[in-house]
Amino acid sequence: MFSPEMCLWMIPFLPLLGSVIIVTLGRRMFPDRCHVPCIAGAIGACVCAVVVFVGVISETTPLRFGREIAWIQVGNFSANFSLRADGLTAVMLVMVTFIGSLIAIYSAGYMEVDESYPRFFAAVSAFLFFMTGLVLANNFVLLYACWEGVGLCSYLLIGFWYEKPSAAAAARKAFLVTRLGDIGLFIGILILWHNFGHSLEYDDIFVNVKAQYDAGVLDHNLLYWACICLFIGAAGKSAQFPLHVWLPDAMEGPSPVSALIHAATMVTAGVYLVARCTPLFGLAPDAQLLVACTGGFTALLAALIAVTQTDLKRVLAYSTLSQLGYMFLALGSGVVVGEHKLAGLAVTAAIFHLFTHAFFKALLFLAAGSVMHAMHDVIDMTKFGGLKKVLPITHWTFLCGAAALAGIPLLSGFWSKDEILATTYEAWHVSGGAASGIYCLLFFTALFTAGLTAFYTARAYFMTFHGDEKLPPEAGEHPHDATPIMAWPLMILAVGAVGVGIVLGPTHLFESVLEKKWITAQFAHLASPHSTNLLLMVTSSVVACIGVGIAYWLYVADPSAAASVASRMASIYDLSRSKFYFDEIYELAVVWPMNAFAFICRVVDQYVLDGLVDLFGQVPAVFGYLVRPVQNGLVQFYALLMALGLAGFLLSVLLR
Amino acid sequence: MSPAHLEGYLVVGAVLFALGLVGFLTRRNMIIMFLSAEMMLQGVAVNLVAFAHFRGNLGGQVLVLFIVAVAACEAAIALALVLMLFRRRKTLDVSVWQELREPDQEPIEDEGTLEAEEKPEDFQHLTPAGAEPPARKDTEEVSHV
Amino acid sequence: MISLLLFADGEGVRGFFRENWLVLLPCALGFVAIYLLMPRANRLPALWGGVLAGLALILGGFVLARSQVFSVETILFLAFSGLAIAAGVMMITQSNPVHAALSFAMVVLSVCGLFLLQAAPFLMAATIIIYAGAIVVTFLFVIMLAQQEGPSNADQRSREPFLASLAGCVLLASVWSIVHKTYQPGDVESLLATLTKVAAVKNTDDVKQVLGDPQTMKPTERDLPLVEQLRKHFASLPPDHKTLNDIAAIKLHWAKLDVDNLKASAEAVRKELEPHRNRQGSLGSDTPHPKEKTPVRFEPGKLPAGNVAAIGRTLFTDYLIPVELAATLLLVATIGAIVIAGRRSEELR
Repeated sequence: MFSPEMCLWMIPFLPLLGSVIIVTLGRRMFPDRCHVPCIAGAIGACVCAVVVFVGVISETTPLRFGREIAWIQVGNFSANFSLRADGLTAVMLVMVTFIGSLIAIYSAGYMEVDESYPRFFAAVSAFLFFMTGLVLANNFVLLYACWEGVGLCSYLLIGFWYEKPSAAAAARKAFLVTRLGDIGLFIGILILWHNFGHSLEYDDIFVNVKAQYDAGVLDHNLLYWACICLFIGAAGKSAQFPLHVWLPDAMEGPSPVSALIHAATMVTAGVYLVARCTPLFGLAPDAQLLVACTGGFTALLAALIAVTQTDLKRVLAYSTLSQLGYMFLALGSGVVVGEHKLAGLAVTAAIFHLFTHAFFKALLFLAAGSVMHAMHDVIDMTKFGGLKKVLPITHWTFLCGAAALAGIPLLSGFWSKDEILATTYEAWHVSGGAASGIYCLLFFTALFTAGLTAFYTARAYFMTFHGDEKLPPEAGEHPHDATPIMAWPLMILAVGAVGVGIVLGPTHLFESVLEKKWITAQFAHLASPHSTNLLLMVTSSVVACIGVGIAYWLYVADPSAAASVASRMASIYDLSRSKFYFDEIYELAVVWPMNAFAFICRVVDQYVLDGLVDLFGQVPAVFGYLVRPVQNGLVQFYALLMALGLAGFLLSVLLR
Repeated sequence: MSPAHLEGYLVVGAVLFALGLVGFLTRRNMIIMFLSAEMMLQGVAVNLVAFAHFRGNLGGQVLVLFIVAVAACEAAIALALVLMLFRRRKTLDVSVWQELREPDQEPIEDEGTLEAEEKPEDFQHLTPAGAEPPARKDTEEVSHV
Repeated sequence: MISLLLFADGEGVRGFFRENWLVLLPCALGFVAIYLLMPRANRLPALWGGVLAGLALILGGFVLARSQVFSVETILFLAFSGLAIAAGVMMITQSNPVHAALSFAMVVLSVCGLFLLQAAPFLMAATIIIYAGAIVVTFLFVIMLAQQEGPSNADQRSREPFLASLAGCVLLASVWSIVHKTYQPGDVESLLATLTKVAAVKNTDDVKQVLGDPQTMKPTERDLPLVEQLRKHFASLPPDHKTLNDIAAIKLHWAKLDVDNLKASAEAVRKELEPHRNRQGSLGSDTPHPKEKTPVRFEPGKLPAGNVAAIGRTLFTDYLIPVELAATLLLVATIGAIVIAGRRSEELR
């Protein structure tokens, strides 16, 4: 029963079962207990994931399941329900199911007051099903199906309060923008299928590409475009520039959703995809450079915007963008130049950051949700302050998460961010020519962004929990701290945010798992060993501390300083405040022309096409009007018509 | 039996058939319509019998026997139906059944005037002697659906 | 009517009328007569229509009888069919339903006379009993039950008399012209009939009666129509074929009034011609099945004298299952009639 292979399919199946139970029975039989199937499914999946993880570590080959269960079979196109678990999958699975379980438990407390309790948990369960399926899939078609599935669940959950116009709009925006990326992904999959062996299994494609590469017949242009298309899909899902506009708006959903989907799991699907396809990207340096540039630019841009936002959840959303940018920067830095093969290092760094980020960002979102819960849905940081005493549990857990995010030494964010910086630094040094300059620029951008990250994180922390105690009128007299069911997940995550780095970072446990169970099996030719760069660690620590220090100076030591600094840099401040006018630019450049085009189409459709169709429709109507008197209900008249018809027919035969 | 003879019988059968058809199409009394249909059957029977003789094959005569059997069934059922229809509308006129016409069509009415029909003579009624009997319930108007 | 316009071309129409005017004339007369006789609000006196109908009847009778030998059978046929048609016309034109039903009884009786002429005495008896005896009486019952006050308003009017009469007339004209074309002289059937007659002659007088007297004819008129039509029919054969020789022999022996050889030649040609008969539309083959024990098929035009026995044999051999089905049908109809008519409505109680 609990063999790792069995657990493989039970991981997605248990949340699906939970979702089906809630959908079919929940609303009628136990509307107040709908969290039970969801939490049970998530925890069951988590247990199975741990079993799978142990299995992966102890086995020499990846676990596989269902290679022979055919799904689609058309001509030479075939897709199976094949699942696989190697090091990367196992890490992702443990992360997704563990965080998912905690967030499901937290939601049971957070969503208690809502009327659509069953709908929420059904969607969360379905999301866990699709997300684990996405991670477990062993071919691109299954991955694509689950990819769309998580998109759907994201849409349902962002628009959970669909009666709120802004939530409905945000859901639509998220769905449409990610669809743009999905088209890219789809085209990429088609290119891969068509050119690399007419198979969609990962291994077949990777082996084929490597064989072509070794034989010197690889079409580099084709691979480049395939990678670009895959990256467009990843960028859409992971909200990278220029498809980043949906993520900040997605904060309209409930806070646990923001934590689960839009911080910890779904948005990392893009990172996962690019990491999974490292055997392809490693052979396409140009595509890697693009990935790195996009990542670095997004990281900087989002950090700059986050600095001035006053909405706590928005700050966290932009910080998510920024951190995802970091991951892509790391992935894009996995260059292979001669003896220097950085792909292994890069992927490890990105996945490690993904892992730690999931902990502290989920924690931050849940803590923000707790604040929001206490403040009765007020989330504007200017409206409250000094909540240290009012919400002690929330304060301490938030502090843990913020410190980890800021990159305070020895906390989890420090270790993983340092690895990314180290990778970029290596890439700068080993690559030559123009690429070297670009990586240099990206390295300093990343360093600067690290400082910005520390600054805005500290800013959010200080504005919320320090200073004079200030409560919005909506919160009432006695705001309450997190209830136990919400507090426990917060505390577990806080421990994780603090401890994960120190356990996995210096001990290189994480690297060794990925290295042994994934990288050596998949792309040993792209990876080589590397060493820790102590100087870089010190530098990043200093930068982080400077960021925090500035924030302390501006928002705690001298609260009036912030305003004066802002007024001195008014133009930049406004630019950042208004998110660099991206929404407005998109409105003007994309939405308006589209609307105009749609209007033209509507006019053509309504007056030209419909007119034509109506005209044809009128022909039988007119004919029917002409012959309608025949139907006068007199049986003899009908018989007469029959007789006349027969007579006419006979005559026509006779007279011919 | 010469072909010329056969031609004569076939033509007589056709004439009977055509007359029955015309009767069926024009007459409005349901019973006469039905009689006309029977006359069409007679035309067919003449035809069959003539061919049976001409070909020396008794199949034609047997078929006429079947026609007689079917006609008997038909008469039984159709007359029962006619009676039922008559009970509904109190008339044998087939023209009162026009409900299956198109919704926007006007029902077809009789046109032209007949010679003034003789009205039954109006006899003088005497008041009945004695107490008035209680009104019968089942003489109430029954709705014709 | 649209199809008529589409398919007809002027030449075809003219040709059709030229060939069939003799048939079309009584039909047209009958059409006008029926139209005039139909009951309606202000109709002409029945005399006009009656005269026209009588004219049509006489004309039609003449057309049918002109190619037949004048015999008792012909007279009876003309009498019975005339009676049937006249009664039929009366049936559909009477405004009084009771009279119509009685006219229908007359039609049935006349048709029974025709049955008798066609060697179907059993059918005659059965039809008289069932139709005239049972069905018509039932009709009369219903009429009496429903219309106790005599002819109603509906009986005084008819629906679309013109179009209906036209349709009937066109149908009749089509059928008649087709029948006329099919069984005219020169057709296989009529040739066969003549040959059978020739093969059955007993002496020179018979020959003279059937084919004409060769001694009184001028040599230029001695081309026998029968022989010419036979040659035309067998034109596709090679000139020295045996059948053509036999045909020539018929003429030769007739000219010499050689009865025995004439009979032999006619019989030979008849046997050759027999397979050319048109079998289309016949119910099964006319030749008996090899395993058939009781013969139920007979020579053309010769039905057995034991009509009832022969029909019984046919019914219970070839048509056994239909007989059973008919029996079931009668049972079902009986039950159905009881169910439908037995439902009493309030006002009839």
